[in-house]
Order: sequence, then C-alpha cells, then structure tokens
Amino acid sequence: MKHYVMTLLAALMLWTLPAVAQNGPLRLELTEGVIEPMPFAVPEFVADDAAGAEMGRRIAQVVAADLTGTGLFREIPQDAFISRVTSFSSPVQFADWKAINAQALVTGAVTLDSTGKLVVRFRLYDVFAGQELGDGLQLVGTQDGWRRIAHKVADQVYSRITGEAPYFDSRVVFVSETGPKDQRAKRLAIMDYDGANVSYLTGSSSIVLAPRFSPSGDRILYTSYESGFPRIYVMNVGSAQRRALEQQEGSMSFAPRFAPDGRTVVYSMTRGGNTDLYSMDINSGAGTRLTTAPSIETAPSFSPDGRRIVFESDRSGNQQLYVMPANGGEAQRISFGQGRYGTPVWSPRGDLIAFTKQSKGRFHIGVMRVDGSEERLLTASFLEEGPTWSPNGRVIMFTRETQGAQGSASLYSVDITGRNLREVPTDTGASDPSWSPLQD
Amino acid sequence: MNTGQIISGAGHLALMGWALFGGAFQSEPLPFQVTEVTAISAEEFAALSNAPNNPEAVANVDTPEPPAEGEGVPELSATEDATPEMSQPEASETPPADTVPEPQEPPAPLPEAEVSDAPPVLTPPEEDVAALVPEVSPRPQPRPAPRVAPEPVAQPDPDVEIDEVDQQETTPDAEAAETVKEDTRETAREEATTEIVTEAEENDLASAAPTRSPRPRTRPETPATEAEPTQDAPAPSEPETDENAVNNALAEALGQGQAQTGGTDQGAPSGPPLTAGEKDALRVAVQNCWNVGSLSSEALRTTVVVSVTMSEDSRPVTSSIEMLSASGGSGSAAKQAYEAARRAIIRCGASGFNLPKDKYDHWRDIEMTFNPERMRIK
Repeated sequence: MKHYVMTLLAALMLWTLPAVAQNGPLRLELTEGVIEPMPFAVPEFVADDAAGAEMGRRIAQVVAADLTGTGLFREIPQDAFISRVTSFSSPVQFADWKAINAQALVTGAVTLDSTGKLVVRFRLYDVFAGQELGDGLQLVGTQDGWRRIAHKVADQVYSRITGEAPYFDSRVVFVSETGPKDQRAKRLAIMDYDGANVSYLTGSSSIVLAPRFSPSGDRILYTSYESGFPRIYVMNVGSAQRRALEQQEGSMSFAPRFAPDGRTVVYSMTRGGNTDLYSMDINSGAGTRLTTAPSIETAPSFSPDGRRIVFESDRSGNQQLYVMPANGGEAQRISFGQGRYGTPVWSPRGDLIAFTKQSKGRFHIGVMRVDGSEERLLTASFLEEGPTWSPNGRVIMFTRETQGAQGSASLYSVDITGRNLREVPTDTGASDPSWSPLQD
Repeated sequence: MNTGQIISGAGHLALMGWALFGGAFQSEPLPFQVTEVTAISAEEFAALSNAPNNPEAVANVDTPEPPAEGEGVPELSATEDATPEMSQPEASETPPADTVPEPQEPPAPLPEAEVSDAPPVLTPPEEDVAALVPEVSPRPQPRPAPRVAPEPVAQPDPDVEIDEVDQQETTPDAEAAETVKEDTRETAREEATTEIVTEAEENDLASAAPTRSPRPRTRPETPATEAEPTQDAPAPSEPETDENAVNNALAEALGQGQAQTGGTDQGAPSGPPLTAGEKDALRVAVQNCWNVGSLSSEALRTTVVVSVTMSEDSRPVTSSIEMLSASGGSGSAAKQAYEAARRAIIRCGASGFNLPKDKYDHWRDIEMTFNPERMRIK
C-alpha cells in the first residue's frame, strides 16, 4: 500500500514538472559581466641598433599611454614581464604572458630603410586565445613623425579590441591663455590630441574665440576681436594664412561652425540688437537667414548628415536646446530639464548631442539623445563649457575653469559613460577646444 | 473493484480532504484592533463635554503694573562697575626669543612690542559640549573602484593578492596535520561596485548631504571563505537551501525516471542533471571574467551564443569554442562580442570550473548566451 502511494506521488511530481528534463547541450544565459580595464602588455619594440632601440622604446611608451588614456585598458609594467621579446618573428610564449594576466600583447619592430624612413611593424595577440588579433601591419613615415606612427599603431590596437573607430591620430585646436583673468592674452594653438606638439597659429595681440575645425581638418574657423568687434576668420592650418568672411555693416558675427560639406558655414549674427542664425557659402559669401525669432539664437551645430542643426535659444524665456532643418524652418525644443542648456554639439556618430548645463550654481557637461531623451550629466564643477567630440564619438573634451581671480582654464576629457575624467596636459591655460577629424 | 482503484480513490479522497480541511483554502483573518469602551450616562457625558479641557482664550491679560518712579529702579553707579584693568603683558626687558635678524640699513620701523608674539593659549571646550551634537566625522570618501561587477566587493587589504576568488592563506596547523593542504597565498577579489557613478552624480550626492552626520556604521564582516579543499579531501557538504534541496530531490527523481526509461533515447545524457545551484555557480564563474568594459557601444548591443566543449577535468577545450549566432549588431560588433565571450570562458576556465564530475554528460557540451543588455549604461 505504501509503495503504491509513493509511486503515485512520484508520478504526480514527474507529471507536473516535465520541463526540468534536459536534452542536448547545457544552456546558460549570462547577463551580468564586469567592467574593468583590460590588462595589456607592450614590450619595447625591437630594433637593430641603439638609435632604433631608443625609438622603439618611445613608440612603445606612446602606444601604452594612448591605450591607458582611454580608461579601457591597463598597462602591465615592464618589470613584471617574464618573457622578453628579442625578435619580432619569434613565436610568442603565451604561457608567460598568461601568468601575468596580460590579455592583449603588442609586439613590434623598428627599422630605418635605405631612404632614412622609419619603418614600424607590429602584431597584436589575444593571449588567452593564443592567437593573433588581425594581421600584422607595417607603417612607414618620417623619423620626425614617430609619434604619429605610434598613434596609428595604438589606433589599430584600440579598434581591433574594442570595435570602436580610432581617434588617437588626431589633433585639437584650442585657445591658449596666459596672464591674469583681467589681462588675459589669448592665442590660437594646435596640438596632438594628447597635448604633445603644441604650435601657435596667431599672436596674442587680439582676443580670439571658439576655433572650429573643418570636416577635412585642413581649415579652422574662429572669431577674432582684431577690429574691435567680433568677426569670423577662416585659416588654412598648413600655411596659417587667413581671411575674414563677408560681414554686413553694423553687425557682429560669431560662433561659426562648418557644415559637413565643408563649403557652408553656419554662425550667429547680431544686428539691430537681435541675434539670429545665418548660413553662408564660404567661397561666394552668399548668406541665408535661418531664424527670425526676436530672441537670441546661437551656438549652431550640424548633424553629421547635414540635414539638421541643433542650437541654443532663449525664446522660451530660458536658455534651451532646439533642433531645426538645416535650411531653417520650425524648430523643435529638445531640452526640458531644470537649468540652462547651451553649446550643443552633435556627435560624429549622430546618436548623441553633447551640451553644457548650468543648474543650481554648477556647470555640467552632459549628453542626450537627439530627441532630448536619456539626458546624462557626466561632470560637475564651478565652470565648464564648450564640449567637442573625438572623431569616433566616444570621448568628449571640454574647458574647465577654476574659481577665483587666479583661476585658470584647462582642458579635460571624459568618456561618454562618465568614466575616465582626465586633464589634458597643456603648458599654458587652455580653453575652447575643437577636435579634428582623424588624420590621413 | 481492484486494489489500484481503491488506492486511487483513497488517495484522491485524502487529497481533497487535506485541501478542504487542511487549511489550504483558509485565509488568515484580517488584523483588527480592539478598543475598550465604557458605557456612561448622558449626565456624565454632558459633564465631560463641558469640562474645560481646552485652554480658553484670554482676552484681557493683566499686565504688571510699572513700578513707581524712584521705586525699585536700580541706581546706576559708574563706580560700581569698575573698569577692568587691561591686563597687558609686560614688555619684557629681554626681547623674546626671535631669531629673525634685525635689518641693518635702513632700520625698519618695527612696531612697539606691546603684545607678545606668542599665540594665546586657547582653552579647550568642555567635553560635555561635544555630547550635545553628534560626533562629526568626515564623510566616507567614495571608493575609487573603476571595476563594475555583478556583486560589489569591498576594498581588500593592501597586502592581499588580487585574484578571481576569495581564498584564505594556509597556515600551519598541527591538529590538521592529517589533511594535506597546498600552500596557498591569501587572495581576494578586486574591489568593485555595481554601477558607474559620474562626477556629476557624486557631487550632487555630496552637496545634498548634511554637513554633520553620524559616523557611518561599520561594514559587517563578510564571512571568511573556506580555503579551497585539496582534491584528496572530501568536499565539504554545504547546507542546502530549500530551493536547492527541492532541485536536488527533483534531479534525483528525474535521474531515476530517466534511468528507468534508459535506452529509449540514445542521445540523452545519463545521470541526474545539474541542479539550479550548480548552473548558477557556473554562470557566475564565467560572468566574473566576462569583461565588457572594452567593448564598443555597438558590441554592447550584440548578443552572441557561444558553444564550448568541456573536458572531463572541467576545463574548456579552447579549440572547440565557436560562435553559433549573433544578434543586434554588425558583423564587426559580433566579432568583438564573441572575442570577449571567448576570453571569459578561457580565462575563468583555465583552472577548471567547479562542476560535478558524475554529471559530466550534462555539461560536456555547453551553449552560453552572452547578453550584455544590462551592461550598457550602468
């Protein structure tokens, strides 16, 4: 009797829960990973002679600094290495690199060819998979351009591991600032994205503001007070030659930015006490008025496809962000949070808009979707403004100014996730950065 | 009527009886309050109602009469309040021990040394003053943990080596001499938080916080994890939770059922399947090495299904890892997502996963779906 009852209960349980039975492979779903910098190793690039060895050491340092600077990677120091790479063609001892938890390994070699050109070869390995990530690559350039070659190596490594577009081989134009706040001298300067190779484009005799790279990176728009009033100039980066854009009598123009086609400029012009947006063909000087509101419209920025413009306006009584068609027309407000929004910049990817927000006495750099949703504030400080996007749309650089009469401006960068906030090293004070596209 | 029908009938009757009378359909009575009342008469109620329970508003308040002139007015006497003597320090004949050399040319118009250079000695406040306010302590600094993980991990001791697992250092123990333990160093998992906090959020939290706050409570000590047992030592029996106990019982029942019907399905693995706890342990082990921090935004929108064959020592066969499918991203993004998944399997499986050997048929082939949806913005 008891046996029958137990059999009956067991049968009932099996009947009610048949789905637990398993056939085929074990199936698991993973939804919670970790977010941490990936450990990598970059041994000094091997070379044939002492001069090449010094170059190989420097290139390895720049590659490591580029990768570490993203916040996505963590360099394993050289003194922790078990293996030494003495030959570029030797097989990699993966066990030695696994032992120090190096998940990626970059090896390289430096040689000088018969014409004195620098030849750099490198390979990237997935240590735990025990195989190469992509093919080996060779780069050739001048010896003076060794930093650019190093940036290109780092770009390849970064793209192969993350899947993001590269951005290390790029430059930044900015306003170099010296002197106290009430007598500050401002000059246009250009540097590598990491603060190296600074050179000055203008003198300090007049105030310059808001430089902006052209889509091809060969020209710069900026505003100068050389004539006593703000006026827009365009400068050729290679020759440093410049010319003023057409301007109507009795007006002030500022806040220029190139359209993606590189031929049109959109800017603000104040005339008769009203500030509106205009566009101009940079060659012919033919202009078009885009807004007609009695309020202040400024800081325009094109979408990457050139069809829309985001700008700031106080038409609602408070400074907010609006999006309108590139040829003018009805504007749609996209920012609705508390505080003031300004200096919007469309991401090169087209999916986000970076902006400056002033709220509760503090300034923030933030990002939002192009429809204004998913606003995220990335930073907070006494004063910061003027975001600019890296060429791949992953990093934002901006100006941060410290408080007080002796306060100074400097450049910072932050990942769009809000992590990895870093100061960009500059010899002088720096403001108004504009990130160039990736160099050829 | 045969015996089976009788048993069946009896069983059903018992089941129905238990359902009806055993409390299955009975609900807990709703909570109610009991208030004691007392019956009083109308006169008593009227007396109570007229009682001056509330203070009456007083319209005319007797103001104290001012004192008559010349009466009770304290005389002001300048002589009574003697001016306190200014206790100026006497200028010492010998200059104070000041090693600053005097300027020679021209002689600086030094002020008269009427006050001592020595700072006044401040009397410390009485101790009972501090008792009136909560003890002020600096707010705990946000822990600089750049690592985001499913489980928060407290900052480990600086001397402890960072590893994938928590592990106690082996210490010589004379009493446990029979159990041979490998020499292991104390390790701990790297400090981690469960979400990314931007600078803006940090400062908002800081500005919103009160300036004075009670000292934060100490973090409860995490129970020390057992040292990893050696292979010879029997595995310690963990206390089973209710869920695990049920799963184990079901697994055993299913195993018996499959054993009884064995032979009908040649492809089905034999033996009891993995319990939910064992599957969770495997999933967590792989997740701990699944680093999505270096993935692009597009790769973080890509779900990949990866298959792997395991060897009997519970290590993944590296050459067997392959991507079965991908969804949500481009081919390039799928490649990055797959490589991150492959690294996770290889890295955390390098020393073998904690899987029951008697159920090898059930975990020999594994399909893992890596879905980073929750890891995009965290």
